[in-house]
Amino acid sequence: MMITSEPTTTDNPSLEDPRVFQQHQDNLGIDVPWLTSAKQSAWSRYLELPSPLRTDEKWRFANLNRIREMGDFRPVPGTTPEVPGIVERSRRFNEVSGRLVLADEALAAAVELDPDLRKQGVIFTTLADAIVQHPDLVQRYFMQQTPELGSEKFEALHVALLRNGTFLYVPDDVEIDRPFVSYNWSCRDGGALFPHTLFITGRNARASLIEFQEAATEETRHLVVANAHLYAGDGARPVHTIVQNWNLNTLSFQLNTNNAQEETVTKSTLINLGSIQARQEIHGKIFGSGSNVEMYALNVPRGRQEFDQRTLQSHIAPRSRSDLLFKNALMESSRSIFSGLIIVEEDAQQTDAYQTNNNLMLSDKAEANSLPGLEIKANDVKCSHGATTGRIDESEIFYFLARGIPRSKAQELMVFGYFEEIVQKLDNAELAEYIRERLVHKFTD
Amino acid sequence: MSSTPDLNIERDVGNFHYDTSYEFDAGTGLNEQTIDYIADVKGEDDWVREFRKKALKIFRDKPVPTHWASKDLENIDYDKIRYYLSKGQRPSRTWDEVPDDVKNTFERLGIPEKERAYLAGVEAQFDSEASYSNMKEELSKQGVIFVGSTEGLREYPEIFRKWFGKVIPIGDNKFSALNSAVFSGGSFIYVPPGVKVKQPLQAYFRINAENFGQFERTLIIADEGSEVTYMEGCTAPQFETSTLHSAVVELVALKGAKLQYITVQNWSANVFNLVTKRGMAMDDAEIKWIDCNIGSRLTMKYPGVVMRGPGARGEVLSIALAHDGQHQDTGAKMIHAADNTSSNIISKSISIGQGRSTYRGIVNMPRSLKSCKNNTECDALLINSNSRTDTYPAITVRGNQSTVQHEASVSKVSAEQIFYMMQRGIPEDEAMSLAVNGFVNDLIREFPMEYSVELKRLIDLEMEGSVG
Amino acid sequence: MNKLEIKNLNVSINETPILRDFSLTVPRGEIHAIMGPNGTGKSTLAKALAGHEDYTITGGEVILDGEPIVGMEPDEISRTGLFMAFQYPSEIPGVSIANFLRAARTARLEDGEKLSAPDFYKELYSKMDLLKIDRAFTSRSVNEGFSGGEKKRCEILQMAMLGPKYAVLDETDSGLDIDALKIVAEGVNKMRGPDIGVLLITHYQRLLNYIVPDRVHVMFDGQIVQSGGPELAQRLESEGYDWVREARADQLVNT
Repeated sequence: MMITSEPTTTDNPSLEDPRVFQQHQDNLGIDVPWLTSAKQSAWSRYLELPSPLRTDEKWRFANLNRIREMGDFRPVPGTTPEVPGIVERSRRFNEVSGRLVLADEALAAAVELDPDLRKQGVIFTTLADAIVQHPDLVQRYFMQQTPELGSEKFEALHVALLRNGTFLYVPDDVEIDRPFVSYNWSCRDGGALFPHTLFITGRNARASLIEFQEAATEETRHLVVANAHLYAGDGARPVHTIVQNWNLNTLSFQLNTNNAQEETVTKSTLINLGSIQARQEIHGKIFGSGSNVEMYALNVPRGRQEFDQRTLQSHIAPRSRSDLLFKNALMESSRSIFSGLIIVEEDAQQTDAYQTNNNLMLSDKAEANSLPGLEIKANDVKCSHGATTGRIDESEIFYFLARGIPRSKAQELMVFGYFEEIVQKLDNAELAEYIRERLVHKFTD
Repeated sequence: MSSTPDLNIERDVGNFHYDTSYEFDAGTGLNEQTIDYIADVKGEDDWVREFRKKALKIFRDKPVPTHWASKDLENIDYDKIRYYLSKGQRPSRTWDEVPDDVKNTFERLGIPEKERAYLAGVEAQFDSEASYSNMKEELSKQGVIFVGSTEGLREYPEIFRKWFGKVIPIGDNKFSALNSAVFSGGSFIYVPPGVKVKQPLQAYFRINAENFGQFERTLIIADEGSEVTYMEGCTAPQFETSTLHSAVVELVALKGAKLQYITVQNWSANVFNLVTKRGMAMDDAEIKWIDCNIGSRLTMKYPGVVMRGPGARGEVLSIALAHDGQHQDTGAKMIHAADNTSSNIISKSISIGQGRSTYRGIVNMPRSLKSCKNNTECDALLINSNSRTDTYPAITVRGNQSTVQHEASVSKVSAEQIFYMMQRGIPEDEAMSLAVNGFVNDLIREFPMEYSVELKRLIDLEMEGSVG
Repeated sequence: MNKLEIKNLNVSINETPILRDFSLTVPRGEIHAIMGPNGTGKSTLAKALAGHEDYTITGGEVILDGEPIVGMEPDEISRTGLFMAFQYPSEIPGVSIANFLRAARTARLEDGEKLSAPDFYKELYSKMDLLKIDRAFTSRSVNEGFSGGEKKRCEILQMAMLGPKYAVLDETDSGLDIDALKIVAEGVNKMRGPDIGVLLITHYQRLLNYIVPDRVHVMFDGQIVQSGGPELAQRLESEGYDWVREARADQLVNT
């Protein structure tokens, strides 16, 4: 536990306290009229919207107990907490284009950005800074698209109370190999965080953003309602990866959209390791033709962790492709929910859309719920979904045994082999290696 | 292929209507008096009357499930429906004794002819009650019971009451509650231990009156080691106003029994067909639903199997054809409640014109069971550019000793395939029929011969004019 | 004594007997071929030797260089020195060939011993070159998306890397075109020598044009009914299996 004399969350009103929004507005220190009014209307929307019920289709199988109790959390104060080592722990890669470290939503170190890229017009900064420095650009994209997958109330709370996040803008025709890396640390006990990511790639731009979500210590309790919105211009090739590793006392939400114009290759991946309960909504919206939108997730819950993921692949324009692969490996008494939908609209002929959810059951107490759905309103399409739930295949184990590999080693190899399908899609060797390490750690801990 | 085909040919099979006078009529609308009327004319025991009244209350309290189901359900006006119409409560044992207007109807539908050809027994329901009910004599000698539910309740209360409402409780859903309040007709079958009924038993459900609601209630019990196949067919004339059909079917397969239930649903396109069907399979028993939905305006039907005993098996094979103005919302529920249970679901749907077909499924292995298996395949074929299909499965598995595999695909008839057939001189719509028949062929083969021929013919008729 | 002895082996699948009092001895340094029509139990023999749990050994012995192996776990059997090339090798998504083989080699080390990665790769690459397998293969998942020929070559590569005392090649020629067959045969021939005994299971004589066996056995109805030199294979090729069937029928009548 961290013991400091700096401001703690207990000085702030809790989410249940009617003064929480006013206090947030007073302390925000950003005076941008459009944002203020967006926040005000979001706050009233938050108050008006009903809490979710299990009978709502979008909350089927969900565990609502923790969500009902989230009123105890208090928004973080917006000052940098004194946590030693955070900046040093935020140096995972050697080869980066930029680095941003937020601790309890406050900047922990100066933002790093390759000067050459800055010259080319690349903007990589905190959201708070972007709102002040590039208000029009932020306004053009801010909350223009939303997931619409059930968490409207929490999305409203996010907008009302957000103060910071990650902003990456890559202008037309700029192509960047090295990733931008952003670290979000949760620090103060009882703190509620509302990080917001905007990742915008212009026409034919190419870039990769990796977000690490971490807790400074294991014992602190947190609520995180994060948003990340990806906008891919015509011909753009953005790659977005979130490594969710909040501590095991965290209730987290991740509400994302991936918005693709024409001819894009848009990839987003979620690696879920942390949180006691994580609700994630990811909506891929394909507005343009000829795009390829890929959505991947690797979820490794353990103990009593619960990952609840809702996805939507919306094909609005014809001749695009989308591919979704969400893989779970469930240990101990963990639980997963995958609810996915592909919607092909009337005009979206010649769509190719795929959706796969695999659940590898590694314990007799784990529970996997899978709801893979399709809504198809056009006939010239190739659409399929598949869901499998099972254990490690005995005939494959035999093949290992037949080569002299002992059973336990065979199982381990097969589980990591199961993960590799996602890990190899990460396109970044350093990241892939890091994830492999984290997975081994999670398994052998 | 975007034009909307003009099709009514297939309805002609059942689209006729004789004016009929009814001795018993509960009038229009639903209240406690309706229930008393039904219970009085049937001479039912008090427990049945109470069961009905309890169900009426549950029906009224339950919301219309439009939060997940079609909004079209809101168009049912329960106050305009006639809940009970009959000429009497005792069916004839020979066709000669059936009143002429009713007999003519069933003759026109070919029922007596089919009975002679390949059936072990027939029950023919005309609106609320069975007009005809007969079974081969050797089966009665073996102790097989095959009667209407009215008769079953009257003559065999000790078996009936033991299982009635046990597989599908009154409050399972709004429509099971409605059926429980006003049920009439349907079949009651009991097959004694070890008896294997070789030929199918057939029930035929006919709606004749306008603004009518048919609420048959079927209960089939296959005792240990027995085998039986039951088939049902249904038709109604095409009226301007909508008609409601809301059945409840409960199946019980005791240890080692095999029960097969085949439906060819060809209601006219004004019928709301809201049916609850579920079976309970005990140790090593097998329940198989073969379900074909061609008619109706909206069908909502998800046959299920609760596998309660170790080694039980459940299967649903389903074909749905949705035409303009039709929504076939069908599927399956597989509840694995014991070790070593296995289930299989194959669903094939075809959407034509603006038709919509929906697959909804539940596969549930809620406890940490040993060696349970489910395999589900859902394939949808879309014929026209404005045809629609949806798939909404829900799969829950706990533990690491079971396996579930679900696959679904959506496709259209391949243009190359059609061209190839046309190049051989086959007209386009016939080629389309061939392709569609090819799509469902492996499932049609599961139907008894006579049915598969009829099914193919129905599909051909449905496909006529669907291209152009 | 360096030999693989199969003595009166009885094997059942789901209580149906497949192998009946099957006996055969393969000395190290020799290549024996087992031929026979489909359904006579050839693949059952391979799987049973490898210790697959679906193949119940109801009687008899298998002795590898003096050590009985019946009842051992499949991985123990493998480490004792018996390699089986599968007729239908499993696809293992996400596990690269290199990692797979490293795990198999590591399992063969004494406690405390470590596999030298450079030496391992040096050896792996040289064996891949020998089998004309592209080096890029090492990072591909085991058998995943492989063609029939690639799968079989991958089996031979594994055999080369694991250096077994005895190898059972189950229908290694099935599904191969002539070029792939030659490569596979070349691989086996290169490993041929005093240190290894090979049992080739095949339906066709074709493979034996490229791998000339020391002995040929004809299997029928779960037993060996005829043994001879390579000329026996020629006879089967020209006359088919009917004469074996007839001879077998006579044998049964006369006993």
